[in-house]
Amino acid sequence: MAAYHVVLVHFPIAIWMTATLAILVRALSNGTLAQAIERALVPLLSIGLLMGIAAYAVGLMVWPWEALSATPLGRNHMLMASWTTAYWALMLAILWMQGERVWQGAGRWVMAGLAILGSALLGITGTLGGNLIGVHTEVTQLLRLMGWEVYTTFYVPNLTLVVLVLASFLLFAIGVWGRRRLPVR
Amino acid sequence: MGKRALLYPTLAIFAGAIGWSWVTHGIGVVKDDLPRNIHIPQELTIPLQVKAAYNGRNILFRYRWPARQPSIYHDMLKYEGGKWVRYGASVAGPQPQGIYEDRVTMMVDDGGVPEFARYGGYVTVGDRMRFFTNEAKPDEVKAHPYLGQKRKQTEVGKHLPATRSDPSDWASVVPEDDLANLRKAGYFLDLWHWRAHRSNPIDASDDQYIFELRGSDSGKGPFTDNWDPETKQPRFMLDPQKTGRLALSWDDLIQRKLGFEDIYFISEATAAPFDPAQQWKDGDTIPRRLLRDGEGSRSNIKVAGKARWQDGYWDVTLTRAMDTGSPLDDKAFLESRVYNVAFAVHRNALGSRWHYVSLPLTLGLNRDANMVAARFVGDEPRWDQEWTDVKLFYPGQVSWPHLTSAKHAGSDQIKAGVPVKFRHNEEQLARYGVEMEFASEIRRQWLLTLFAGLLLIAGFGVAVNVALNRSKGV
Repeated sequence: MAAYHVVLVHFPIAIWMTATLAILVRALSNGTLAQAIERALVPLLSIGLLMGIAAYAVGLMVWPWEALSATPLGRNHMLMASWTTAYWALMLAILWMQGERVWQGAGRWVMAGLAILGSALLGITGTLGGNLIGVHTEVTQLLRLMGWEVYTTFYVPNLTLVVLVLASFLLFAIGVWGRRRLPVR
Repeated sequence: MGKRALLYPTLAIFAGAIGWSWVTHGIGVVKDDLPRNIHIPQELTIPLQVKAAYNGRNILFRYRWPARQPSIYHDMLKYEGGKWVRYGASVAGPQPQGIYEDRVTMMVDDGGVPEFARYGGYVTVGDRMRFFTNEAKPDEVKAHPYLGQKRKQTEVGKHLPATRSDPSDWASVVPEDDLANLRKAGYFLDLWHWRAHRSNPIDASDDQYIFELRGSDSGKGPFTDNWDPETKQPRFMLDPQKTGRLALSWDDLIQRKLGFEDIYFISEATAAPFDPAQQWKDGDTIPRRLLRDGEGSRSNIKVAGKARWQDGYWDVTLTRAMDTGSPLDDKAFLESRVYNVAFAVHRNALGSRWHYVSLPLTLGLNRDANMVAARFVGDEPRWDQEWTDVKLFYPGQVSWPHLTSAKHAGSDQIKAGVPVKFRHNEEQLARYGVEMEFASEIRRQWLLTLFAGLLLIAGFGVAVNVALNRSKGV
């Protein structure tokens, strides 16, 4: 399955990197070309998500769960792949639901920032996948300099888990409250 | 206030949660847990320098490694409250009083153990080893018909995989005839074992092997017990005629006042039969190990010159006949041959599995290798060749049964014979070793982190989707 996973991951990587470029172009321009690119984003991200899910599913079959969940690099790769896939699903949802409204006002810069963050997640996931098969890049060293030794499992303590859950519910609450109570302007 | 006003608090909460996670990641799980035999050293890797030289009759190995202080005291009997109390036995983690000796060890193979060349000492770490969290209980080992009843073992020590019918079961020792055949075929590792207290004061080293257990070569070793279990007293005390005292002072040991030139050990040359009629007082301390001249194959290895700690480094040179004439105990060194070796160091009053180990290296005698022994003429080498720098690492609780099981993602590569160095370096192995000691805890925390992250992304999605909502054309 490893060979199939390697083949499959090329698709979401290419598509999400292309989407990042498209979002940056659209954030910087209201021109005809930029608007045409914008219209391609939802189909592009839809295909990207499907291919990402396929690559993720095949990736889960490369090693037995007991090996994958016992290996620091395997754990990290799976963690980042899960977050990356979810994150780009979120990007698809925003663009699908809000359409061209996201490019108005400060929204375009928010979208640019979110796309860059998504690319960073994607880059880290790919780097970890490379490490798993013995191919190393300078990104590993960069992450080390930033405080994460990728050969140790990324996990957070219980207090941080509580913080994450509280932050998540706060964000849900903001979303629900904003939709019900605040006007669209 | 419109929905767009929610954008900045949403971004702030999301960024804050990510930032807090980044800053706090990796803490809260890895910590000492001595009841489970877990102690994590502060340094996970240390350097070792090695040189080798031979003259056709003898081969010498010179080792140099850093240690903040020499640990030369070991296993003491302290008189307190009318009884002799033992301090300095093997314990999990550092010996609390700092009474545990430094050591350097070297495993040698001539090709008789093929896996050793690829995986080094990992092949010697079997199932439920001593001081692992799941170590076999002494009663289990004592009850074993061969290991316990015949070989008098009380714990599972290093052993080689083919000495078990099932390498993942320490108790499945193959029949004794098979063991004998394996041994004759050279399926064992020679183990040079220098100890700073139990051999160094008399310029000796232990000579052992790793086969179905870690055993000692035939003959007499450089130390024996100085304890009479029936009278619960030492067998020997210091000879006042020769040493000017009956015992050491506990305070001197705790304050590390006794150095290489002082009396800090007891040997046949300095011992007198224990006299219970003496006026023993609290704090009198007698070493529990009596040093003696070894005999036979076990006494083949000697210290060349003096092994000493100076300016933060140990400098130890060991010498042995290239061919000891004991092919069932020792690996003979031959001109133009390549050997596989691996090293380990104990320091900072840590014993048993709390050592730093190396990956396997090749040693060449007039052959290209990771480390080439220098040929010299006369009795003493000039030692003018470069040191071979070796990185030692803390191995944690990683066993051969684990590495060859489905739990190890690289088990297929081991089956294919891919050497450990091809995929891992010492830093990685040290970190993996530590994580293995907390395998279930880290797996749980990692899964919770994964799901918490997904929850955060979902919450962020809901909030930012509302915040980005805006009337068309505005």
